Amino acid sequence: MALIERVTRLDQTKAWLGEIPIQSRYTVGIAGERFFREIQEHGRFLGTRCPECDLIYVPPRLYCEACFAHLEEWVEVPTTGYVYTYTVAHQDLDGEPLPEPRLLAFIQLDGTDGGLVHFLGDVEPDQVRLGMRVEAVFKEKAERRGSILDIVHFRPVKG
Amino acid sequence: MKEHVYDTVYLRSKDFEEGRVLFETWDPKARYAWDAGVAIGRFLAELKAGRLVGRHCPGCRRVLIPPRMVCEHCFLPTDAWVPLQDTGTVVTYSLCYITWDMVHLEEPQIPAVIAIDGASPGMGIMHLLGEVDPEAVKIGMRVQAVWKPAEERTGAITDIAYFKPVAS
Repeated sequence: MALIERVTRLDQTKAWLGEIPIQSRYTVGIAGERFFREIQEHGRFLGTRCPECDLIYVPPRLYCEACFAHLEEWVEVPTTGYVYTYTVAHQDLDGEPLPEPRLLAFIQLDGTDGGLVHFLGDVEPDQVRLGMRVEAVFKEKAERRGSILDIVHFRPVKG
Repeated sequence: MKEHVYDTVYLRSKDFEEGRVLFETWDPKARYAWDAGVAIGRFLAELKAGRLVGRHCPGCRRVLIPPRMVCEHCFLPTDAWVPLQDTGTVVTYSLCYITWDMVHLEEPQIPAVIAIDGASPGMGIMHLLGEVDPEAVKIGMRVQAVWKPAEERTGAITDIAYFKPVAS
């Protein structure tokens, strides 16, 4: 009897509420440092290339994920690509409703084996298609601080 | 890259302050709700009402406080709620001149385990002693709960402000 005693009214449940204070600081790392400095200074993307596997990593890796070779060949890659997959977010990270839905996509970058997760802009949710051609839109140089948010969003390539 | 970062293995505070490394910060809202469960949930609800309750085990016939739905000796489901007194006996205590977050206290806090009257011997709860000279606290001392006013009670163990000595 006792073991199957259960709460039948939700307003009778007793939960202990609390909040854990957490502050986090994430350093972008050695390869990330070079990647984001290039975005900040020049509005360009860099990747690393594995000559053995003929793979170009974006974001750049220091080691090849296929053969574990140390990668030293840095190459500039296009800031264009296509929508590999996307989603429409209606809530923020804390579950609060967003004033406007935001489009998030994985952008496969041209000529590389990688890509970036970022926002889509200048496009309505019902207009987005898989495979849609897009290009990066950067903030003005004075506003860039070496962050993924130095890219405003990716927008459809006109024409 | 060398002029920016990682000449040494260890990053220093000024590397961040002077922008020598790129980083992101995030302060997540880590709110949680921990379900107190059936036994403790009822225990807390009764505290809000100004009462202490235990659970009876049909195997060892002990009355358990804090209440639990399964007896840890018999592995049997407990079978009844038992109203208890708000008086008891000091089983053990400590004089604490430092708080949990390491602040020095002139007057000690006195956490104690209090065996509650009506529960089985040795069954008790941990709480604070008050209205007592720290030097006068003794094991075996008789104490009684001092409840917060009903409107201030929230269904927490702190609905009892502390236990104070009573004549034995």
